Amino acid sequence: MRYEVTLDDRRVRVELGEDGRFTVDDRVVAADVRETARGRQWSIILESESHEITVVTHEPLRLDVDGRDVRAAVIDERALRAGRGAVGLRTARVELRAPMPGLLKAVHVQEGDRVDADAPLATLEAMKMENELLAPSAGRIAKVRATAGTKVEAGVVLIVIASD
Amino acid sequence: VQRLLGEKTAARRLARAAGVPVAEGTEPLRDAAAARAAAKEIGYPVVLKPAGGGGGKGMRVVGRDEEFEAAWRAATGEASAAFGAPALYLERLITSARHIEMQILADAQGNVVWLGERDCSIQRRHQKLIEESPGPSVGEGLRAELGAAAVRLAERAGYVNAGTVEFLVDPNGDFNFLEVNTRLQVEHPVTEMVTGLDLVALQLRIAAGEGLPFTQDQITRSGAAIECRITAEDPMTGFVPASGRVALVREPAGPGIRVDSALFSGMTVPSEYDSLLAKVIAHGRDREEAISRMRRALAEMRVSGIPTSLAFHRAALYEQDFVAGRYDTDFVSRWDPQKMPDLSDGVAGAAALAAVLAVRAHGERRAVPVADPTWARAGREDALR
Repeated sequence: MRYEVTLDDRRVRVELGEDGRFTVDDRVVAADVRETARGRQWSIILESESHEITVVTHEPLRLDVDGRDVRAAVIDERALRAGRGAVGLRTARVELRAPMPGLLKAVHVQEGDRVDADAPLATLEAMKMENELLAPSAGRIAKVRATAGTKVEAGVVLIVIASD
Repeated sequence: VQRLLGEKTAARRLARAAGVPVAEGTEPLRDAAAARAAAKEIGYPVVLKPAGGGGGKGMRVVGRDEEFEAAWRAATGEASAAFGAPALYLERLITSARHIEMQILADAQGNVVWLGERDCSIQRRHQKLIEESPGPSVGEGLRAELGAAAVRLAERAGYVNAGTVEFLVDPNGDFNFLEVNTRLQVEHPVTEMVTGLDLVALQLRIAAGEGLPFTQDQITRSGAAIECRITAEDPMTGFVPASGRVALVREPAGPGIRVDSALFSGMTVPSEYDSLLAKVIAHGRDREEAISRMRRALAEMRVSGIPTSLAFHRAALYEQDFVAGRYDTDFVSRWDPQKMPDLSDGVAGAAALAAVLAVRAHGERRAVPVADPTWARAGREDALR
């Protein structure tokens, strides 16, 4: 299976062969991969250099790479063929989800509005503070699914953006 | 005494009486109209503060007259929720300021000493993220002045306990009294590392009626210490608090490193409480060594399962302005989360492989319809544990 991986601004092509061989940017690499915490952490010796990679969060995909923070997104070959966006960062529809349960104090946008990345979309009161929820990417507001004044659970979709 | 210093406007009156400079401001305000008039007189920008508050909660900066009503409503609501007291007062906003605080100890015999300052300018939402001592911008002269002012204030109030007097210092080195924290603070380890004193033990001795076991002249400070507050917040999205389950934790150790932490693998970080998870403190013979130890410690630390401020702290310790000791309370708002270090080919290759494995592992665990009722999903997740 072939994948295209985005690490911050960098693209890397990865192939996991049926025979257990790894290809990075079309080059077969000598890699010793060990899962040190199930689904969470891997110790990888690549070309005789040792690295430790920890998943900080799966969605969005954030990695701790040898003590450095990296934003990652992965597209597999089926999605590549279908011309779809990445799993994680670059989907065409970006959802703003409630990061924690709380009281939605205000929604600052309406369907059809254009927003820049990091524009404030809603105010959520939690942890005794009012938190501005910012647009994860620029685009047009496709859907507002939440009403001001209501309580929301963590993870519910509040606003959907059709990203640029 | 605690009530006197804890109520902010009373504390401001006391500071003025003790000859400590105080920023232009008001008494507690009756209503929005009176407050708005006062704001006009002081001149924008102003900052609305809860009179019964602390820890930066419920504070609102108001830049223009038109924003006043909304800010007043929000601040009143937050003050009621956090402190059970809606009273607010106004202060002139001091921009490009440093938040410098002075640690004091006062016993029941009337002895008051100062232990040294902490620079706590690196804040978001008026709450601290990094503290250090000595303050990189504080010279011997300013230190002695702040120490003397803090002692005068405590003496005037008849204060007995460990405490902190907070100041805002402007770029000219002029300082204004901010507030008194009548308690041991989150950042006290910074002072403990530099002075070698155990503030908790001293606080207990004071409470038991014992006198301070040393005088001002006997207090020595050595080297520099920095504290990073690791919080359950996502620095990539404006420090929005996060909650969830911590899947994996590794804390740093080594020479000059202290970790005060509540973290453990498998813990659930709830959304109802403060987001502080752990404090990492580094001490060195000088600031440079403290920074280098802190960088190493942060690079060693791992938290998996929820976003934390670790990504901010790691980056901040390499920021030019931080390294040079040239920063103020706007440091966090100027920080660009998009700016990340370049990865070498080897690191990028390994990271890319792991990214693929992570997505595959997560996809397998998630291959259940999301539309299930909550109880069914909870049951299934339990079975997978």
